[in-house]
Amino acid sequence: MSNQDKPFFVGYLDIPGSLRRFLVLACLVGTGIFVATGLLIGSTQDEPAASGFRFDYGRQTVTGVIELTPYPLLRVTQGNDLIKPGKTLMLSGQGKFGVDAQAMGLEGGLVEVTGIILQRGTIDMMQLAGGRRGMKMVDGDAPDMETEPLGRWKVAGEICDGKCLNGAMRPGRGLAHKACAALCLVGDVPPVFVSTQPIEGSDFMLITGPDGTRLPKAAYDHIGQFVSAEGDLERRGDMLVLKLDAETIEVIDG
Amino acid sequence: MSVKYIPVQWNRNKWFYDLVMLIGVVAFLVLFLFVSPDLLSHEFPINPQVHNARAFGACAFVMLTVILCIGPLARIDTRFLPLLYNRRHFGVMTTFVAITHASYILNWYFSFSKSDKFSALLFANTSYTQLAGFPFEAFGIFALICLLILAATSHDFWLKFLTPPVWKSLHALIYVAYIAVVAHISLGILQDQQNHVFTLIFIGGALAVAVLHAYAAWLDWRGGDEVATQSEGWVEICGPADIKNGFARIKLMPNGDRVAVFNQDGKLSAISNACAHQNGPLGEGRVISCLVTCPWHGFQYDVTNGRSPAPFTEMVPTYNLRLTDGMIQVDPEANPPGTYVEPVAIPGWKEVPA
Amino acid sequence: MNQAELILLLVKIWGGVGACVALGFLTFGIDRLDEDARGAYVFRLLIIPGVLLIWPLVLWRWYVLAGGKDLWARRYQPRRNSHRVFALIMPVLIVGIIAVGWSVRQTWPVDVAPVQLSEPGQ
Repeated sequence: MSNQDKPFFVGYLDIPGSLRRFLVLACLVGTGIFVATGLLIGSTQDEPAASGFRFDYGRQTVTGVIELTPYPLLRVTQGNDLIKPGKTLMLSGQGKFGVDAQAMGLEGGLVEVTGIILQRGTIDMMQLAGGRRGMKMVDGDAPDMETEPLGRWKVAGEICDGKCLNGAMRPGRGLAHKACAALCLVGDVPPVFVSTQPIEGSDFMLITGPDGTRLPKAAYDHIGQFVSAEGDLERRGDMLVLKLDAETIEVIDG
Repeated sequence: MSVKYIPVQWNRNKWFYDLVMLIGVVAFLVLFLFVSPDLLSHEFPINPQVHNARAFGACAFVMLTVILCIGPLARIDTRFLPLLYNRRHFGVMTTFVAITHASYILNWYFSFSKSDKFSALLFANTSYTQLAGFPFEAFGIFALICLLILAATSHDFWLKFLTPPVWKSLHALIYVAYIAVVAHISLGILQDQQNHVFTLIFIGGALAVAVLHAYAAWLDWRGGDEVATQSEGWVEICGPADIKNGFARIKLMPNGDRVAVFNQDGKLSAISNACAHQNGPLGEGRVISCLVTCPWHGFQYDVTNGRSPAPFTEMVPTYNLRLTDGMIQVDPEANPPGTYVEPVAIPGWKEVPA
Repeated sequence: MNQAELILLLVKIWGGVGACVALGFLTFGIDRLDEDARGAYVFRLLIIPGVLLIWPLVLWRWYVLAGGKDLWARRYQPRRNSHRVFALIMPVLIVGIIAVGWSVRQTWPVDVAPVQLSEPGQ
């Protein structure tokens, strides 16, 4: 219940003198909260992994053999200063699209691809230019490409989409990014597994389902989580490919 | 107070309120958007779209947290009531900031695919059966819908049209929205964040809201309005000397309604404690220029008939009252709003000089 | 049609019906129900989004007010008693949700090494 001593504020009248100092203080504290939180939250954002589109390198054109894992890989046979022969590139279209349509029917064939590099430490992906400029068959004999089986492995780490991981988005992994990664995978962007520790010199690998199938939908629930999973590993050029058994996925405690 | 509706009613204090609020919000966004990238100096910076989304999302959280603290603070200490006065503008502003956050997310994470971005938002992650990896966006969508409803129904027209109790119940959605925001953050960015400054600010803010509400509820429970005793169909309020000139005594009647009995220059009148505008507690107000003034938004009533002065049209119910054996008694049956009741003079009343 | 498209269709239907209600309500209903609205037109633009969102509530109030069924006493029964419920449930949920969120949070399992289970060809 109010009493005479307490100041009484009426919105459309002048503020009582005894309330002014309190309200000035409240305004200062209020704005102070916004200034402090804005600065603190803004300046303590985690640093994304060193990765991204390399528009500064310009458009790259290389020739190689297409392999369908089923996600198309390019085994580079004729490279340039940046991308040497023996390199294996994952391929993506613009946006959240893979290049399955362009690569269809070209398996084992010699193609020339043109696009922009995505780099995360090493160069592992190219975003192809649109239309026929992006990928076209070239004359010549395609050499046989070796695939080296590495046995069955149990790996630990995170399922991501290869494009965002390579810096198309920064940050490009984690649970806050899960829906985006799933959308990329639905669009046939190659999925990858980031390993806690390097395997055969590589800290990530392309993942597929068993027997030349796509990554099973069951794995989508675990995108961005830290999981362990089993599968057959193979090396194609300098790229590891894990044929993941979705039933073996387990969330790691802690 | 309404006469004819206009889009926004302004006065000097509202301008000032909005100005301070805008300074706070603009300072937050400028520091986050334009100053923090230099401080971070990341070699490969966060995508501008993600950085912007985070800035507006964090800003909306801070705004919502501050807004939700105002209510309990004003109940704990009435000096905070001026912050309540124009809270609706604060809320509408928060909705705009939250929409900006959502559109950055929608136009970045959910775009560039073969699906429509709105449908992508709904189907991209459907892991509803797990906690880690739960589609936390759903909580954000829900909270945004709540905020949109609140902002869209903030005009005084809605108060009058829906009635204050329905409007207040609808606007209690803010609590549900806040809980959803807490879940949105807890299952979203909190899962990924490595630097825990935001984690601390988030938990501190959410706990402040939680503790202040619990404390204010506890105070209200301990020291709420007294329940009136009934005697022969009339409810007893207090002795006339217990009500200071220009002030009221509130009693909770057995039927659940609250009555406010005012002493205006030695004459007693009883009106409903609930203001016609937002059901603010009239009995916690005071008489200014012969008119009872609500402590929330300053709506005024003639205490003898419960009517706002012309040209205003608001009315509150009045109660018949009498003085029996030195005790003020009120008939718990309210008169229709605007009914004149002859004030009861306090015998031998003399104004005590202030 | 998938579920996402179905939900979006329902949203569009909701908004479409809301638009029809808004048209009827703001062009002729409101003038009969609220004398303060008579002759006031600009503020109606601000009312449109509200009608789009909560048109069932608008139709219900329109029906009640137009039929003279509004009980004046209800206007003066504040919601403050139910407020206590919110004031108590909200703190519990806030603390609970943050605790759950924190408990499922993972740290990068850097110590868990990849293991070769079998050699090639085995």
